Amino acid sequence: MSRPVLVRREQALRGGQPLSFAIGLVVALTIGIVLLLGAGHDPVAIYERMFVAALGDPDSWSVTLNRAVPLGLAGLAVAVAGSMGLWNIGAEGQILAGAMMAAGVARIGEGWPGPVLVTAILVGGVVGGSLWALGPAVARSQIGVNEILTTLMLNEVALRLVQWLIHGPWKDPDSFNFPLAPMIPDHGRLPTLFGRAHVGVIVALVVIALFAVAVNRTAWGFELRVAGSSGATARYAGISLERKTATVLVMAGGVAGLAGGIELAGTADRLTEGISNGFGYAGIIVAALALMRPSGVAAVAVLFGAVQIGGQSIQTMGVSSSVSTILQALILFGAIGAGVLSRYQVRMVPGDPGDPGGDGVQVGEAT
Amino acid sequence: MSDIWKRFPGVVANAGANLSVSRGSIHAVLGENGAGKSTLMNVLAGVYRPDEGEVRVEGVAHRFRTPADALAAGIGMVHQEFRLVPSFTVAENVVLGAAARILRRQAIEDEVADLAEQFGLATRPDRPVWQLSMGERQRVEILKALWRDAHILILDEPTAVLTPAEADELGVVLRAMADAGRSVIFISHKLHEVTGFCDEATVLRGGRTVAASVRVADTDAGELASLMVGSSPMTTERPPAHPAGPPLLEVSGLSALGDRGLPALQSVDLTVRSGEIVGIAGVAGNGQRELCQVVAGLRSATAGTVHLAGDDLTGASPRKLFQAGLGYIPEDRLGVGLAPRLSVVDNSILRTYEAHRRGPFIVAERAEAHCVDLVERFGVRTGPLDDPMAGLSGGNLQRLLVGRELSGRPRVVVAAQPTRGLDVQGVKAIQDLLVEARDEGAAVLLVSEDLDELLTLADRLVVMHDGEIVGEFDPTTAARSEIGEAMIGHGAGVGS
Repeated sequence: MSRPVLVRREQALRGGQPLSFAIGLVVALTIGIVLLLGAGHDPVAIYERMFVAALGDPDSWSVTLNRAVPLGLAGLAVAVAGSMGLWNIGAEGQILAGAMMAAGVARIGEGWPGPVLVTAILVGGVVGGSLWALGPAVARSQIGVNEILTTLMLNEVALRLVQWLIHGPWKDPDSFNFPLAPMIPDHGRLPTLFGRAHVGVIVALVVIALFAVAVNRTAWGFELRVAGSSGATARYAGISLERKTATVLVMAGGVAGLAGGIELAGTADRLTEGISNGFGYAGIIVAALALMRPSGVAAVAVLFGAVQIGGQSIQTMGVSSSVSTILQALILFGAIGAGVLSRYQVRMVPGDPGDPGGDGVQVGEAT
Repeated sequence: MSDIWKRFPGVVANAGANLSVSRGSIHAVLGENGAGKSTLMNVLAGVYRPDEGEVRVEGVAHRFRTPADALAAGIGMVHQEFRLVPSFTVAENVVLGAAARILRRQAIEDEVADLAEQFGLATRPDRPVWQLSMGERQRVEILKALWRDAHILILDEPTAVLTPAEADELGVVLRAMADAGRSVIFISHKLHEVTGFCDEATVLRGGRTVAASVRVADTDAGELASLMVGSSPMTTERPPAHPAGPPLLEVSGLSALGDRGLPALQSVDLTVRSGEIVGIAGVAGNGQRELCQVVAGLRSATAGTVHLAGDDLTGASPRKLFQAGLGYIPEDRLGVGLAPRLSVVDNSILRTYEAHRRGPFIVAERAEAHCVDLVERFGVRTGPLDDPMAGLSGGNLQRLLVGRELSGRPRVVVAAQPTRGLDVQGVKAIQDLLVEARDEGAAVLLVSEDLDELLTLADRLVVMHDGEIVGEFDPTTAARSEIGEAMIGHGAGVGS
């Protein structure tokens, strides 16, 4: 009897990540053909529609890019913390907090000139997200409270807060009793670039690039990466973990909050319950696919955005939203699975499948 | 077990080890860290498969592929880290995986209680494990093995987690088991326990058996100690002595707590002068590690002072100490001294990255030049310098680490187990670097478990036991047996 085990490659395959994404895509689309045929659809037409809707012309590109903005910033919010070995699961709540603060700014600054108001809204987003991450940051750095739990739980709190605002104090009197906040003033909206793409695309790209450079090229980023490797090594290198942990989590919150501000002023135009639409959680996947490297986040976010936009578009062709969601999931599974194979290889070893011993687990040290 | 070989990448853990245990005896397996004890036991317990060699149980040859195979042949192992489910009761843990499909709580509790009584293991079968002391948890592990009808019971350093009173109790339990016809293999490096309650002893060194089944009654702790640390002729020529200069590292009255919050270092006084290597000998876990950590700023002292070249730097940060001229080669290379996932370049500037800054940026060219310099000067064999550090072999990892610490010509060097686990070439290279640093006037504090290394390199040798310095020796004249005695706490003070 022999059985397969995963063995870590000594080195990840070079260029493995883009390649694995492509392989994953092909595998997923192949499985998807079966799925679509089973549901009585023409796979070729469906796939064509997905592609055209996401990447077919400048207009579709503009929609995809707009979608990539919150995904990329949320991914960055996870990846920056992840570079230091911290898990920021709270991007969702930080986006909502950013959107709330931005909406508050928009209410106050109705009379301000356009450029001032737009800038203030985006800054409001950053501040809101940072404040939302402040609690977990302080708790983690001062008394070691696990940031995974605190950031995750605050997501729910943020959502409830948004609901309270739009059902209560900020409810639009003209919304026919729907729970919606009023539209932000027109001159507070993000200027468009082309098609429907707004300035947020450039803002996000600049922010991601800044963080990528900071993490890879600066002393600050060096400390971050050392701390991510091992806390003991960081102390040995003379790095103060407490301060670093706190600032990094707050910064991550600010990045996610910026996404909230951009969504408000760029696509949603008003505070709604669904303004984040799961971007914060999707950001975890984006960061994982980018191997927690801020530099990889932008490309992954565009691909992820294209998959989402393409998936949504086929719902108008009578494909049920479940099938569309399954297709999106397959593509992501394929990419993640192929990513694993770029870092691990499958080896057959002798032994029964249920057997816990064997060479596959013999990776311990020798004494 | 005869002629067991087990190789791991870059390390030969067992090189023809033998072990023969007779029924109804308590058999000690002795050896220093890295002597191959745990590997040999893991081979016996079916965790590792030997590359070569034979395992016979009651005359029958076995090839165990899994721990379950070994258990079926009657071999059970109690590991150093307990493998218990904290929220389960004692009885549930004992029968876990080896009980009938339907558990009748009261019945198994009674059965476990009977078994415990039979061997005098005081326990409370209905208690959840998380409520138990370490000693009680260990008894649960022993019960697990007995429940599975193990006739040969391996205990891997069982007393490491026990209080002295608990250790004595364990001795009584083991005797009861031996009297009942079972065999106990007792791994330890605490010699007084071996002489206290073992019948026979096998000593391993460098993966080989150097003394097989010695009757404990016919020997004494001193002899066993010298077998453990070896008496092979010196492999390296003793480097010429160097006249010692002014004191650069002065430690006085230093006390500190260990990881478990118990005193690990008690009022240690130590001076290392410019141009000398002071070696610290001792059995692992007697405060050497804590001493190095306090001096390097990674552990706080509860009392006492550390002076570097006359300046009081007690409690200073690791960075401040480094800048004041302290090079530190930590025992845990990959967990403390290096960042394995970062690149070779990043690792080479781990201590000095601030010096490679321009504004907020680290100047890549400068960092790389520094790395290339280290790699060339210290003969590190590497792939591309942007690849992760973890890709380097053990010897090359250590060359880079040692090179990095020595390249700034530190006034004081603290080296903890700097050659452990390296191959012959690597050992020689690191030793030469330490001697070179000394010859350039550094004060070197060298902690090692390899007594040969200490005798070869050190200009003075102090022995630590139980967190205290218990003896000082002149390595050129001291007898190994005397040092061995001191290491186990039987020393007669200053022996030089």
